[in-house]
Amino acid sequence: MGKTFLLKAEVRTKTGTKDAARIRKQGRVPATVYGHKETPTSLSLDAHDFVQGLHQGHRFMEVEIEGKLEAMIVKDLQYDHFGRNVVHVDFMRVDVTERVKVQVPIELKGVAKGTHEGGIIEEHATRVEVECLVANIPEKIVVGVKDIGVGDVLHAGAIELPDGVDLVSPAETLLVTCHLKAAAISAEEGEIEEEPATAGGPEVITEKKTDESSAG
Amino acid sequence: MAMMPKRVKYRKSHRGKMKGHAGRNNYVAFGEYGLQVLETAWVSGRHIEAGRIAATHFLKREGKVYIRIFPHKPISSKPLETRMGKGKGETDYWAACVKPGQICFEIGGVPEDVAKTALLRVSHKMPIRCRFVKRRHTI
Repeated sequence: MGKTFLLKAEVRTKTGTKDAARIRKQGRVPATVYGHKETPTSLSLDAHDFVQGLHQGHRFMEVEIEGKLEAMIVKDLQYDHFGRNVVHVDFMRVDVTERVKVQVPIELKGVAKGTHEGGIIEEHATRVEVECLVANIPEKIVVGVKDIGVGDVLHAGAIELPDGVDLVSPAETLLVTCHLKAAAISAEEGEIEEEPATAGGPEVITEKKTDESSAG
Repeated sequence: MAMMPKRVKYRKSHRGKMKGHAGRNNYVAFGEYGLQVLETAWVSGRHIEAGRIAATHFLKREGKVYIRIFPHKPISSKPLETRMGKGKGETDYWAACVKPGQICFEIGGVPEDVAKTALLRVSHKMPIRCRFVKRRHTI
């Protein structure tokens, strides 16, 4: 991915729900920037430009605030309830030579050996935390699952990371497992078997207490 | 059999209000693809069970289906040809209160086209409009 992405931002003087909503109506996104022991600043960005950069995989952005360029990384994103629009962005000030801890998504590549043996691949974690230089933040980490057979597991410690990128997540973090479909079948049957227990209606906790008090 | 709680504190509940939208449970958290509710409704345990069966039968035990809603709310009704009064009716069914944005079903471990077809089948069993969503781009 291209390492930097240029954005223009305006400083927000008015903050709060109503002003943020007003900004969103104008096609902009409210944002905040913090870090490096400087005072946090409220900003607003062009929504279209920002989302475009985000979809291109840019995490590290250079933001022009009042004619001054600042290097930042996107630290957090907030979406609306439908998950369609970004409603707020958190930026963190960084230095280009600084090492940062970031969450990077994992992409599984290939068809697992176990799937030909009647197993299914289950993804337990979709992201891992890594530490790297700001300019070297990987867009994603590709994990090959070709050699995973039935009963095999893949831990975070076993994945290959690009040069200069160190793993921060515990090495024993479970990423991928391959298990037989039969296990899924029995679990499903077990679930069905459990159900008749509530056939007569659920147990009412408060009613039980009144019965006991009347008996006593 | 339709889903219902095992234990409850009270046998019956008030109707309640369903205002606003889903402030949480509104993103795909477990699988890779999900079915997002677009309207406010009571989704009965039977609807949920019908959706589960539709998905699992289509997937032929591949992948994994996650149900993100549970019918916690008892919905009472009076028997037919009964005069009004004489107290609240007995529980007829159990329902989940869903609001726009709520993810009701998720699927993981299958390709996108398969998940999309499976969730489309599930959406036909739901009493409300739903849409297919993918795991959200997060930082």
